Amino acid sequence: MEKYFLDAGTTWSKILTVKDGKKAYSIIRTKDLSNYDVEFEISTGHTLSKVKTKKTENEVIALSFGAKEIKNGVILDLGSRDAKWVKFENGKFKDMDWNTNCASSTGATVEMLLKFYEINSDDLIPTNEKYNVTCGIFGLEKIMDDISNGIDSKIAISKFITGIANNAYNFTKKPDKIYLSGGFCENSRFTDALKFYTKVELLGRFVLVDGLYNIYSENLFKGRFDKKIKVTGPDYLHDPSGEELIIEEID
Amino acid sequence: MKDIIAFWGYPHPDIIKRAKEEYKNVQFLDLDVDFGANKVSILPENYCTIIKNIYNNAYFYKDRIIKILAPIGKDKCDSALFAAEILKDEGFIVETSIFEEKNFKKEIAPISTSSIPLKTKVELITKNIIEQKNYDNLDYVKPKAGFWGVPPNDLSILEIFPNETHIFGWMRCVEQMAPYDIELEKFVDKNIKTVFFAQTFCAKNQLAKYLSQKYGGLYVDIDGISNSSTKAKIEAYLRLG
Repeated sequence: MEKYFLDAGTTWSKILTVKDGKKAYSIIRTKDLSNYDVEFEISTGHTLSKVKTKKTENEVIALSFGAKEIKNGVILDLGSRDAKWVKFENGKFKDMDWNTNCASSTGATVEMLLKFYEINSDDLIPTNEKYNVTCGIFGLEKIMDDISNGIDSKIAISKFITGIANNAYNFTKKPDKIYLSGGFCENSRFTDALKFYTKVELLGRFVLVDGLYNIYSENLFKGRFDKKIKVTGPDYLHDPSGEELIIEEID
Repeated sequence: MKDIIAFWGYPHPDIIKRAKEEYKNVQFLDLDVDFGANKVSILPENYCTIIKNIYNNAYFYKDRIIKILAPIGKDKCDSALFAAEILKDEGFIVETSIFEEKNFKKEIAPISTSSIPLKTKVELITKNIIEQKNYDNLDYVKPKAGFWGVPPNDLSILEIFPNETHIFGWMRCVEQMAPYDIELEKFVDKNIKTVFFAQTFCAKNQLAKYLSQKYGGLYVDIDGISNSSTKAKIEAYLRLG
């Protein structure tokens, strides 16, 4: 009996299929996910609305369980839409963050830039010069300025990617080493740029689906906190009606 | 018909008492809260959502508001001082107050430390500014998590937390009737994982970020309505921490 696990990213979906204890990984475009006619055991990611899945799991939780062998260090997942990291010390959770507000400095922007300027990622010219791309929109403006001033687009985009690497380093609070997960593992221009700042070990694109499988196989799925108390009374603030607060314990 | 006494923050207890004695059978409307009122364009686009709520609600209920009880001291913020001036200028009757003294301070915070759901705790504390009911009978619960900050514009983020969440920061100060007690506002339980929340563009972000780093908590600022990633980030922190 095959079991399926899904990490549905904004652009790419990573699928783990487990049959007789053997794992097989695949990647498909997320827009084609609705054609993938299986029921997943556990899924994570931003794009689950059209997916048949028994359970959904938080992405940072999936990342943590996928990298559970790393007892000390920062694990950064950098994908097409956002960045998230978790830090463990002696196998215990220590810190985390998730940039939830701006997607413009991540993989989707790099893919768009490469398409727009018709450049292959391997043809980028490495440079340790960087743009300040805290905001990707301002970063794009600088690329356009540089190119209009005669800078080679292969260098300009490279400076943008070095800026993203610098952001990733600062975002993770400047660790001595980053364990990198996600699509950027396959972008050598980015991983080389990240090495300007810190040591890097690549974990690949399937950390989150491995985490889902670990959660499944070790029966560690928890879901949301259980609410065991029901409160009736003040469900609005603007009309102090004098209603009494009723607290009931429920099963 | 005018039947509303509006307010924001924590008006001085003396002016609340006077308003209650003077006006019977009126509603007290907390202008800080998002009731879905139409937006007015007085403030810059990038501004604290709570202050935007004050304007939106004030104009939405203008024909019904008798007057606005308006804290303008360190118990609220500079933005409230300017809002009071502008709303006066716009024709509202505004009674300002400064509630910085600690004469009214209570030593315990039974709502903040109880086992009722966090969202209800916040609603009770906010309602109790006017009602002043006694909740001393609520049982203390051993905390599993902490929430530091002000009532968020988007109350749904509070539903992520376990019931065993203690409240800290300005809300705790409000429950203890000391809305400007900086020592109490800085107080947290160092032994529990705490989310330090501030509304985007609010000066309290300075304290929230600093305290989160000092105590190893999670700093979160939200502008208006939270997105699903921010909720997932809080959920992950609470589950991993």
